[in-house]
Amino acid sequence: MTGTFDAAVTGLGMVTAAGIGTAASWERIVAGAGTAAADISALAGTPVDFGCPVADFDPLVMVGRRQAWRLDRSSQLAVAAAREALQDAGLDTSSWDAARVGVVLGNFVGGAATWEKQHKVLLSEGATEVSPMLVPMLSINMSAGYVAMECGARGPNFVAATACASGTTAIGLARELLRAGTCDVVLTGGTEACLVPSIISGFSQMGALAPRPADIGTASRPFDVARNGFVPAEGAAVLVLERPAAASARGATVRAFVSGYGASADAHHATAPDPDGAGAESALRAALADAGRDPTMVDHVNAHGTSTPLNDVAEARMIRRVLGGRPVVTSVKGTLGHALGAAGAIEAAATVLTVQHSLVPPTANLDSQDPAIDLDVVTKSARQSAVEVAVSNSFGFGGQNAVLVITRA
Amino acid sequence: MSSVYDRLAKIIMDVMHLEEHEIQPTLTFNDLEVDSLGLVELILVAQKEYGISIADDDLHANLTLEQAAAVLETKVVPAR
Repeated sequence: MTGTFDAAVTGLGMVTAAGIGTAASWERIVAGAGTAAADISALAGTPVDFGCPVADFDPLVMVGRRQAWRLDRSSQLAVAAAREALQDAGLDTSSWDAARVGVVLGNFVGGAATWEKQHKVLLSEGATEVSPMLVPMLSINMSAGYVAMECGARGPNFVAATACASGTTAIGLARELLRAGTCDVVLTGGTEACLVPSIISGFSQMGALAPRPADIGTASRPFDVARNGFVPAEGAAVLVLERPAAASARGATVRAFVSGYGASADAHHATAPDPDGAGAESALRAALADAGRDPTMVDHVNAHGTSTPLNDVAEARMIRRVLGGRPVVTSVKGTLGHALGAAGAIEAAATVLTVQHSLVPPTANLDSQDPAIDLDVVTKSARQSAVEVAVSNSFGFGGQNAVLVITRA
Repeated sequence: MSSVYDRLAKIIMDVMHLEEHEIQPTLTFNDLEVDSLGLVELILVAQKEYGISIADDDLHANLTLEQAAAVLETKVVPAR
């Protein structure tokens, strides 16, 4: 540790169930209606056949006709988000020092749709009919590889896997590449596209998913007393990180800083959070220490808030214990559902926008707050609130926890 | 052009999302950015389309589409 370190967020790209592009996504997140949930034809016949897909995503337009067919949807979403983020950052990819540009993304299950499709081919037509593209479309690392191919980034390139915390872990590690002096620019975030029968049935069999309510737009209801599971989603978000001096030297707009990162393991259970939240607490405290901020300084928490009974209460108690009742809390999963390995990246982007615009989006569908959740949760409409210090929590299966501290630029 | 060529062009359009005007008999697979993996992908589809067996070394990425169609032509058993 060599003192605090701010990574400047100079670019954002979002491809979410709330919209394609940062502006469209943010507008709908701020509106806070859980209208993103939709029937998904690929899931027809499975017990939970709805979720939060990225509707109207045309890979031929967003990725390009000659490239699109080679990429699993998980990589297509990442490339589209990266394109937007680079454009937003205003970086000239033809003149940058490419060897010092890294790409660090988070992902949970890789090219699930491709694997499922080719496994069907294997079973029905035989091994000699399996696509040669299976492995490069399936591998969990490929989204970062394709982002590098897209923009010519030749620095360190990898995907971090901490299940539902992957996007957050990726951003934390990307910042370390800047702090260590390894990179000058890092494109970082996460992607996920696994709304396919095998994966969603697996989550369903775990009892993790919300059953279908009369109005599926209300299925994801973080912190509500009637919450009963998460709603699976897909999406991607990419942030461009640079050192603040470099960003200001080239006149870039800095949306916010990533100022701290903390990580830990529960060492408790495969899928259930530690009921005491000890692991999550240690990640949060580590992130705040990394940022050189006291827990009393935190104005806002973008919670993991999955809408599962166990997560939300364990997380809420942990927030209350560490940060007290002062922070304004929200979970954007009410609007977006749970985009798994991309969720942390999408929520980091939302937190950056919250800090930049002093506007905390509401937790959609929160009608009756669980009395066990003793926090100031924003509901119904966005709240104008000056946020100097925010934290974004992510907790993954395997008991893997990651927390970012995001501060005003 | 032969119907074998037309069907090959159709396969490339379907699999690689290329448009008709981009596909010319004198272009190679490389010209169309169809690399070795892409070629295997095309071979799998073409085998089904033509009902023939195509070996890995029958086609390579430096062949023009016209040349590739000629290779396929020798393998296609006349329908009648």
